[in-house]
Amino acid sequence: MNFPLTIWDVSLWIAVMAIILLITSELLAPYSNYFGDFVMEKKRLRLAALVLGAAFMVTVLLRVVMPF
Amino acid sequence: MTLPRTNEKSNNKGKNDEKSEEATVEYLLKAIEDLQKQNEILKREVLKPKRTPSGKIGFTFLTIGALMLLWSVLKTSTVLAFIGLGLTFWGALFLFVRPVKFVRGTILDSTAISSYTTIDRIIQDLNYEGRPIYIPPYPKEAYLPEYLKNLKEMIVVIPAEDILTVPTVDEMAKKQFLLKNPKGICIAPPGFGLMSLFENELGLDFSSCSLEQLCNNLPAIITELALAEQIEIFMEKGPVHAKVEGSIYKDLYQPDLIHVIIRDSIYKDLFNPERGLKSPHLFGCPLASAIACALSKAAGKLVTTAKNVVSSDLKTIEIWYQTLKA
Repeated sequence: MNFPLTIWDVSLWIAVMAIILLITSELLAPYSNYFGDFVMEKKRLRLAALVLGAAFMVTVLLRVVMPF
Repeated sequence: MTLPRTNEKSNNKGKNDEKSEEATVEYLLKAIEDLQKQNEILKREVLKPKRTPSGKIGFTFLTIGALMLLWSVLKTSTVLAFIGLGLTFWGALFLFVRPVKFVRGTILDSTAISSYTTIDRIIQDLNYEGRPIYIPPYPKEAYLPEYLKNLKEMIVVIPAEDILTVPTVDEMAKKQFLLKNPKGICIAPPGFGLMSLFENELGLDFSSCSLEQLCNNLPAIITELALAEQIEIFMEKGPVHAKVEGSIYKDLYQPDLIHVIIRDSIYKDLFNPERGLKSPHLFGCPLASAIACALSKAAGKLVTTAKNVVSSDLKTIEIWYQTLKA
Protein backbone atom coordinates (compact mmCIF):
# COMPACT_ATOMS: atom_id res chain seq x y z
CA MET A 1 0.00 0.00 0.00
CA ASN A 2 2.93 2.37 -0.55
CA PHE A 3 3.01 5.12 -3.13
CA PRO A 4 5.02 3.55 -5.96
CA LEU A 5 7.00 6.66 -6.99
CA THR A 6 10.16 7.86 -5.24
CA ILE A 7 10.95 11.55 -4.83
CA TRP A 8 13.41 11.30 -7.73
CA ASP A 9 10.70 9.91 -10.05
CA VAL A 10 8.45 12.80 -9.08
CA SER A 11 11.36 15.21 -9.58
CA LEU A 12 11.85 13.98 -13.15
CA TRP A 13 8.12 14.22 -13.84
CA ILE A 14 8.02 17.76 -12.46
CA ALA A 15 10.98 18.73 -14.66
CA VAL A 16 9.28 17.44 -17.81
CA MET A 17 5.97 19.17 -16.96
CA ALA A 18 7.74 22.43 -16.08
CA ILE A 19 9.58 22.42 -19.42
CA ILE A 20 6.35 21.75 -21.36
CA LEU A 21 4.47 24.52 -19.54
CA LEU A 22 7.30 27.04 -19.73
CA ILE A 23 7.69 26.50 -23.49
CA THR A 24 3.90 26.75 -24.01
CA SER A 25 3.74 29.89 -21.92
CA GLU A 26 6.62 31.47 -23.87
CA LEU A 27 5.06 30.57 -27.22
CA LEU A 28 1.70 32.05 -26.18
CA ALA A 29 3.23 35.22 -24.71
CA PRO A 30 2.84 37.43 -27.83
CA TYR A 31 -0.83 36.55 -28.26
CA SER A 32 -3.85 37.79 -26.33
CA ASN A 33 -5.96 35.56 -24.06
CA TYR A 34 -8.42 34.95 -26.90
CA PHE A 35 -7.67 32.32 -29.51
CA GLY A 36 -10.86 32.35 -31.57
CA ASP A 37 -13.48 30.69 -29.36
CA PHE A 38 -10.87 29.41 -26.92
CA VAL A 39 -10.20 31.63 -23.93
CA MET A 40 -7.60 31.08 -21.23
CA GLU A 41 -5.71 32.96 -18.54
CA LYS A 42 -2.14 33.19 -19.80
CA LYS A 43 -0.92 34.65 -16.51
CA ARG A 44 -2.14 31.61 -14.59
CA LEU A 45 -0.48 29.27 -17.05
CA ARG A 46 2.80 31.11 -16.55
CA LEU A 47 2.32 30.99 -12.77
CA ALA A 48 1.76 27.21 -12.89
CA ALA A 49 4.89 26.81 -15.06
CA LEU A 50 6.99 28.90 -12.68
CA VAL A 51 5.69 27.04 -9.61
CA LEU A 52 6.58 23.70 -11.22
CA GLY A 53 10.02 25.05 -12.16
CA ALA A 54 10.55 26.17 -8.56
CA ALA A 55 9.34 22.79 -7.29
CA PHE A 56 11.89 21.07 -9.50
CA MET A 57 14.65 23.32 -8.14
CA VAL A 58 13.58 22.34 -4.61
CA THR A 59 13.91 18.64 -5.50
CA VAL A 60 17.37 19.34 -6.96
CA LEU A 61 18.36 21.08 -3.72
CA LEU A 62 17.05 18.06 -1.79
CA ARG A 63 19.23 15.84 -3.94
CA VAL A 64 22.24 18.01 -3.09
CA VAL A 65 21.46 17.97 0.63
CA MET A 66 20.51 14.25 0.71
CA PRO A 67 22.43 12.55 -2.11
CA PHE A 68 21.11 9.05 -1.28
CA MET B 1 -50.58 27.56 -96.17
CA THR B 2 -47.37 28.62 -94.52
CA LEU B 3 -49.07 31.07 -92.16
CA PRO B 4 -50.56 28.50 -89.73
CA ARG B 5 -47.15 26.76 -89.53
CA THR B 6 -45.41 29.98 -88.60
CA ASN B 7 -48.15 30.63 -86.04
CA GLU B 8 -47.63 27.15 -84.65
CA LYS B 9 -43.90 27.74 -84.53
CA SER B 10 -44.26 31.05 -82.78
CA ASN B 11 -46.73 29.46 -80.36
CA ASN B 12 -44.28 26.65 -79.65
CA LYS B 13 -41.48 29.19 -79.21
CA GLY B 14 -43.64 31.17 -76.84
CA LYS B 15 -44.44 28.06 -74.82
CA ASN B 16 -40.75 27.10 -74.72
CA ASP B 17 -39.83 30.59 -73.56
CA GLU B 18 -42.46 30.41 -70.83
CA LYS B 19 -41.20 27.01 -69.74
CA SER B 20 -37.57 28.13 -69.64
CA GLU B 21 -38.62 31.27 -67.78
CA GLU B 22 -40.50 29.18 -65.24
CA ALA B 23 -37.49 26.90 -64.88
CA THR B 24 -35.21 29.88 -64.37
CA VAL B 25 -37.55 31.38 -61.78
CA GLU B 26 -37.78 28.03 -60.01
CA TYR B 27 -34.00 27.68 -60.08
CA LEU B 28 -33.55 31.21 -58.78
CA LEU B 29 -36.11 30.69 -56.03
CA LYS B 30 -34.34 27.52 -54.97
CA ALA B 31 -30.98 29.31 -55.03
CA ILE B 32 -32.42 32.14 -52.92
CA GLU B 33 -33.87 29.63 -50.48
CA ASP B 34 -30.48 27.89 -50.19
CA LEU B 35 -28.71 31.21 -49.69
CA GLN B 36 -31.21 32.24 -47.02
CA LYS B 37 -30.63 28.95 -45.21
CA GLN B 38 -26.87 29.48 -45.41
CA ASN B 39 -27.33 33.03 -44.19
CA GLU B 40 -29.34 31.80 -41.19
CA ILE B 41 -26.66 29.23 -40.34
CA LEU B 42 -23.92 31.88 -40.59
CA LYS B 43 -25.94 34.28 -38.42
CA ARG B 44 -26.33 31.59 -35.77
CA GLU B 45 -22.59 30.87 -35.96
CA VAL B 46 -21.72 34.53 -35.50
CA LEU B 47 -24.22 35.15 -32.72
CA LYS B 48 -23.42 31.89 -30.94
CA PRO B 49 -22.93 32.92 -27.32
CA LYS B 50 -19.33 32.65 -26.34
CA ARG B 51 -19.32 31.02 -22.93
CA THR B 52 -16.56 30.33 -20.53
CA PRO B 53 -15.34 26.75 -20.85
CA SER B 54 -17.51 24.55 -18.63
CA GLY B 55 -14.53 22.70 -17.19
CA LYS B 56 -15.94 19.29 -18.05
CA ILE B 57 -12.59 18.10 -19.42
CA GLY B 58 -10.81 19.37 -16.31
CA PHE B 59 -13.17 17.59 -13.92
CA THR B 60 -13.04 14.36 -15.96
CA PHE B 61 -9.22 14.36 -16.02
CA LEU B 62 -9.10 15.14 -12.32
CA THR B 63 -11.49 12.32 -11.37
CA ILE B 64 -9.84 9.70 -13.61
CA GLY B 65 -6.39 10.81 -12.46
CA ALA B 66 -7.33 10.56 -8.76
CA LEU B 67 -8.80 7.07 -9.32
CA MET B 68 -5.65 6.01 -11.19
CA LEU B 69 -3.47 7.29 -8.35
CA LEU B 70 -5.52 5.30 -5.84
CA TRP B 71 -5.30 2.23 -8.03
CA SER B 72 -1.54 2.66 -8.43
CA VAL B 73 -1.18 2.69 -4.63
CA LEU B 74 -3.29 -0.47 -4.35
CA LYS B 75 -1.41 -2.26 -7.15
CA THR B 76 1.99 -0.61 -6.42
CA SER B 77 2.29 0.19 -10.14
CA THR B 78 4.70 2.92 -11.30
CA VAL B 79 3.07 3.22 -14.73
CA LEU B 80 -0.39 3.75 -13.22
CA ALA B 81 1.08 6.28 -10.79
CA PHE B 82 2.63 8.32 -13.63
CA ILE B 83 -0.61 8.21 -15.65
CA GLY B 84 -2.63 9.19 -12.57
CA LEU B 85 -0.25 11.99 -11.68
CA GLY B 86 -0.33 13.32 -15.25
CA LEU B 87 -4.12 13.24 -15.55
CA THR B 88 -4.63 14.83 -12.12
CA PHE B 89 -2.16 17.59 -12.94
CA TRP B 90 -3.60 18.41 -16.37
CA GLY B 91 -7.15 18.28 -14.98
CA ALA B 92 -6.22 20.74 -12.25
CA LEU B 93 -4.38 22.93 -14.78
CA PHE B 94 -7.36 23.04 -17.17
CA LEU B 95 -9.56 24.21 -14.30
CA PHE B 96 -6.94 26.71 -13.14
CA VAL B 97 -6.40 28.46 -16.51
CA ARG B 98 -10.13 28.84 -17.15
CA PRO B 99 -11.00 32.54 -17.45
CA VAL B 100 -12.97 33.93 -14.54
CA LYS B 101 -15.34 35.96 -16.69
CA PHE B 102 -15.86 36.40 -20.40
CA VAL B 103 -18.04 39.20 -21.70
CA ARG B 104 -18.87 39.82 -25.35
CA GLY B 105 -17.59 43.09 -26.77
CA THR B 106 -21.03 44.24 -27.90
CA ILE B 107 -22.17 44.25 -24.25
CA LEU B 108 -19.40 46.70 -23.33
CA ASP B 109 -20.41 48.89 -26.24
CA SER B 110 -24.09 48.93 -25.25
CA THR B 111 -23.36 49.76 -21.60
CA ALA B 112 -21.39 52.85 -22.67
CA ILE B 113 -24.25 54.29 -24.75
CA SER B 114 -26.40 55.44 -21.82
CA SER B 115 -23.64 57.52 -20.21
CA TYR B 116 -22.79 59.18 -23.55
CA THR B 117 -26.47 59.93 -24.16
CA THR B 118 -26.64 61.57 -20.71
CA ILE B 119 -23.57 63.70 -21.43
CA ASP B 120 -25.08 64.64 -24.80
CA ARG B 121 -28.29 65.77 -23.08
CA ILE B 122 -26.40 67.85 -20.51
CA ILE B 123 -24.24 69.55 -23.13
CA GLN B 124 -27.19 70.24 -25.42
CA ASP B 125 -29.34 71.54 -22.57
CA LEU B 126 -26.64 73.88 -21.30
CA ASN B 127 -25.60 74.74 -24.86
CA TYR B 128 -21.91 74.30 -24.09
CA GLU B 129 -19.50 74.30 -27.00
CA GLY B 130 -16.07 73.93 -25.46
CA ARG B 131 -13.72 71.03 -25.98
CA PRO B 132 -13.19 68.78 -22.94
CA ILE B 133 -10.01 69.40 -20.97
CA TYR B 134 -8.56 66.51 -18.98
CA ILE B 135 -7.03 67.69 -15.73
CA PRO B 136 -4.39 65.40 -14.18
CA PRO B 137 -4.80 64.43 -10.53
CA TYR B 138 -2.19 64.91 -7.83
CA PRO B 139 -0.05 61.77 -7.32
CA LYS B 140 -1.51 59.33 -4.76
CA GLU B 141 1.45 59.65 -2.42
CA ALA B 142 1.54 63.45 -2.50
CA TYR B 143 0.53 65.15 0.76
CA LEU B 144 -2.50 67.40 0.51
CA PRO B 145 -4.51 69.06 3.28
CA GLU B 146 -7.92 67.53 3.98
CA TYR B 147 -9.89 70.19 2.07
CA LEU B 148 -7.83 69.58 -1.07
CA LYS B 149 -8.03 65.75 -1.01
CA ASN B 150 -10.45 65.74 -3.98
CA LEU B 151 -7.65 67.01 -6.22
CA LYS B 152 -6.36 63.43 -6.32
CA GLU B 153 -9.25 62.50 -8.63
CA MET B 154 -9.04 62.64 -12.40
CA ILE B 155 -11.58 65.07 -13.88
CA VAL B 156 -12.59 66.45 -17.23
CA VAL B 157 -13.92 69.97 -17.69
CA ILE B 158 -16.27 71.00 -20.49
CA PRO B 159 -16.11 74.79 -20.80
CA ALA B 160 -19.11 76.78 -21.96
CA GLU B 161 -17.14 78.29 -24.84
CA ASP B 162 -14.39 76.92 -27.05
CA ILE B 163 -11.70 78.60 -24.98
CA LEU B 164 -9.12 76.61 -23.09
CA THR B 165 -9.63 77.47 -19.46
CA VAL B 166 -9.26 75.59 -16.21
CA PRO B 167 -11.38 75.95 -13.08
CA THR B 168 -9.92 77.28 -9.88
CA VAL B 169 -8.39 74.90 -7.35
CA ASP B 170 -11.21 75.73 -4.91
CA GLU B 171 -13.89 74.71 -7.39
CA MET B 172 -12.09 71.46 -8.22
CA ALA B 173 -11.51 70.67 -4.54
CA LYS B 174 -15.20 71.21 -3.74
CA LYS B 175 -16.14 68.52 -6.30
CA GLN B 176 -18.58 70.88 -8.01
CA PHE B 177 -20.49 69.80 -11.10
CA LEU B 178 -21.50 73.22 -12.40
CA LEU B 179 -18.54 75.57 -12.54
CA LYS B 180 -19.00 79.32 -12.33
CA ASN B 181 -15.53 80.67 -13.02
CA PRO B 182 -14.98 79.82 -15.86
CA LYS B 183 -18.43 78.63 -16.84
CA GLY B 184 -18.55 74.92 -17.53
CA ILE B 185 -19.18 71.48 -16.11
CA CYS B 186 -16.82 69.13 -14.38
CA ILE B 187 -17.31 65.35 -14.61
CA ALA B 188 -15.37 62.12 -14.22
CA PRO B 189 -13.93 61.10 -17.62
CA PRO B 190 -15.76 58.22 -19.35
CA GLY B 191 -12.48 56.34 -19.67
CA PHE B 192 -11.32 56.77 -16.07
CA GLY B 193 -12.26 53.22 -15.08
CA LEU B 194 -10.41 51.77 -18.06
CA MET B 195 -7.32 53.83 -17.25
CA SER B 196 -7.34 52.44 -13.68
CA LEU B 197 -7.59 48.94 -15.15
CA PHE B 198 -4.55 49.62 -17.37
CA GLU B 199 -2.61 50.80 -14.30
CA ASN B 200 -3.56 47.66 -12.36
CA GLU B 201 -2.71 45.35 -15.25
CA LEU B 202 0.64 47.01 -15.91
CA GLY B 203 1.44 47.47 -12.22
CA LEU B 204 2.28 51.10 -12.94
CA ASP B 205 1.15 54.44 -11.60
CA PHE B 206 0.97 56.60 -14.73
CA SER B 207 1.73 59.75 -12.74
CA SER B 208 5.19 58.34 -11.98
CA CYS B 209 6.08 57.20 -15.50
CA SER B 210 7.28 59.19 -18.50
CA LEU B 211 5.29 59.81 -21.67
CA GLU B 212 7.70 57.61 -23.69
CA GLN B 213 7.26 54.77 -21.19
CA LEU B 214 3.48 55.16 -21.40
CA CYS B 215 3.51 55.20 -25.22
CA ASN B 216 5.50 51.95 -25.18
CA ASN B 217 3.29 50.14 -22.66
CA LEU B 218 -0.20 51.36 -23.56
CA PRO B 219 -0.64 49.73 -27.01
CA ALA B 220 0.45 46.35 -25.64
CA ILE B 221 -2.03 46.33 -22.76
CA ILE B 222 -4.92 47.59 -24.93
CA THR B 223 -4.41 44.83 -27.51
CA GLU B 224 -3.83 42.31 -24.71
CA LEU B 225 -7.22 43.18 -23.23
CA ALA B 226 -8.72 42.86 -26.74
CA LEU B 227 -10.15 46.40 -26.59
CA ALA B 228 -8.75 47.17 -30.04
CA GLU B 229 -6.93 45.26 -32.73
CA GLN B 230 -4.06 47.71 -33.03
CA ILE B 231 -2.99 50.99 -31.46
CA GLU B 232 -0.29 53.33 -32.69
CA ILE B 233 0.91 56.37 -30.75
CA PHE B 234 3.14 59.06 -32.25
CA MET B 235 4.49 62.19 -30.59
CA GLU B 236 4.28 65.25 -32.82
CA LYS B 237 5.27 68.86 -32.48
CA GLY B 238 2.37 70.41 -34.28
CA PRO B 239 0.57 73.65 -34.90
CA VAL B 240 -1.71 75.10 -32.27
CA HIS B 241 -5.28 74.13 -33.06
CA ALA B 242 -6.64 75.46 -29.80
CA LYS B 243 -8.21 78.86 -29.55
CA VAL B 244 -6.68 80.38 -26.42
CA GLU B 245 -7.57 84.01 -26.99
CA GLY B 246 -9.05 85.74 -24.02
CA SER B 247 -7.73 83.24 -21.52
CA ILE B 248 -5.59 84.47 -18.68
CA TYR B 249 -3.47 81.35 -19.11
CA LYS B 250 -2.80 81.89 -22.83
CA ASP B 251 0.92 82.64 -22.34
CA LEU B 252 1.43 79.48 -20.35
CA TYR B 253 0.18 77.03 -22.94
CA GLN B 254 2.89 75.01 -24.64
CA PRO B 255 1.17 72.73 -27.11
CA ASP B 256 2.41 69.27 -28.08
CA LEU B 257 0.46 66.87 -30.24
CA ILE B 258 0.09 63.16 -29.66
CA HIS B 259 -1.35 61.32 -32.63
CA VAL B 260 -3.17 58.08 -31.76
CA ILE B 261 -4.52 55.62 -34.33
CA ILE B 262 -6.98 53.05 -32.99
CA ARG B 263 -7.86 50.19 -35.31
CA ASP B 264 -11.03 48.11 -34.82
CA SER B 265 -11.94 49.47 -31.39
CA ILE B 266 -14.51 47.54 -29.40
CA TYR B 267 -16.40 50.84 -28.92
CA LYS B 268 -16.41 51.79 -32.62
CA ASP B 269 -20.21 51.57 -32.82
CA LEU B 270 -20.50 54.66 -30.59
CA PHE B 271 -19.36 56.72 -33.61
CA ASN B 272 -22.08 55.25 -35.81
CA PRO B 273 -23.91 58.24 -37.39
CA GLU B 274 -27.22 56.38 -36.95
CA ARG B 275 -26.86 56.72 -33.17
CA GLY B 276 -26.50 60.48 -33.53
CA LEU B 277 -24.24 60.86 -30.50
CA LYS B 278 -22.05 63.96 -30.31
CA SER B 279 -20.12 63.34 -27.11
CA PRO B 280 -18.07 60.39 -28.48
CA HIS B 281 -16.64 62.89 -30.99
CA LEU B 282 -15.87 65.29 -28.14
CA PHE B 283 -14.38 62.89 -25.56
CA GLY B 284 -13.70 59.96 -27.84
CA CYS B 285 -14.94 56.49 -26.95
CA PRO B 286 -14.15 55.18 -23.42
CA LEU B 287 -10.90 53.80 -24.85
CA ALA B 288 -9.89 57.16 -26.35
CA SER B 289 -10.90 58.87 -23.11
CA ALA B 290 -8.78 56.39 -21.12
CA ILE B 291 -5.80 57.19 -23.35
CA ALA B 292 -6.38 60.92 -22.76
CA CYS B 293 -6.50 60.32 -18.98
CA ALA B 294 -3.29 58.28 -19.12
CA LEU B 295 -1.51 60.92 -21.22
CA SER B 296 -2.63 63.69 -18.89
CA LYS B 297 -1.50 61.74 -15.83
CA ALA B 298 1.88 60.75 -17.30
CA ALA B 299 2.65 64.20 -18.68
CA GLY B 300 1.23 66.00 -15.64
CA LYS B 301 -0.36 68.43 -18.09
CA LEU B 302 -3.82 69.35 -19.30
CA VAL B 303 -4.91 67.29 -22.30
CA THR B 304 -7.55 68.10 -24.85
CA THR B 305 -8.65 66.53 -28.13
CA ALA B 306 -7.39 68.71 -30.96
CA LYS B 307 -8.82 66.69 -33.84
CA ASN B 308 -10.69 63.47 -34.31
CA VAL B 309 -11.19 61.55 -37.57
CA VAL B 310 -13.30 58.41 -37.87
CA SER B 311 -13.21 56.38 -41.09
CA SER B 312 -16.52 55.73 -42.88
CA ASP B 313 -16.42 52.01 -41.99
CA LEU B 314 -15.71 53.01 -38.33
CA LYS B 315 -12.66 50.71 -38.33
CA THR B 316 -10.03 53.39 -37.89
CA ILE B 317 -10.23 56.18 -35.34
CA GLU B 318 -7.53 58.83 -35.45
CA ILE B 319 -7.22 61.26 -32.57
CA TRP B 320 -4.80 64.13 -32.06
CA TYR B 321 -4.41 64.90 -28.37
CA GLN B 322 -2.91 68.17 -27.34
CA THR B 323 -0.98 68.59 -24.11
CA LEU B 324 -1.03 72.02 -22.56
CA LYS B 325 1.13 73.20 -19.73
CA ALA B 326 -0.96 75.51 -17.63
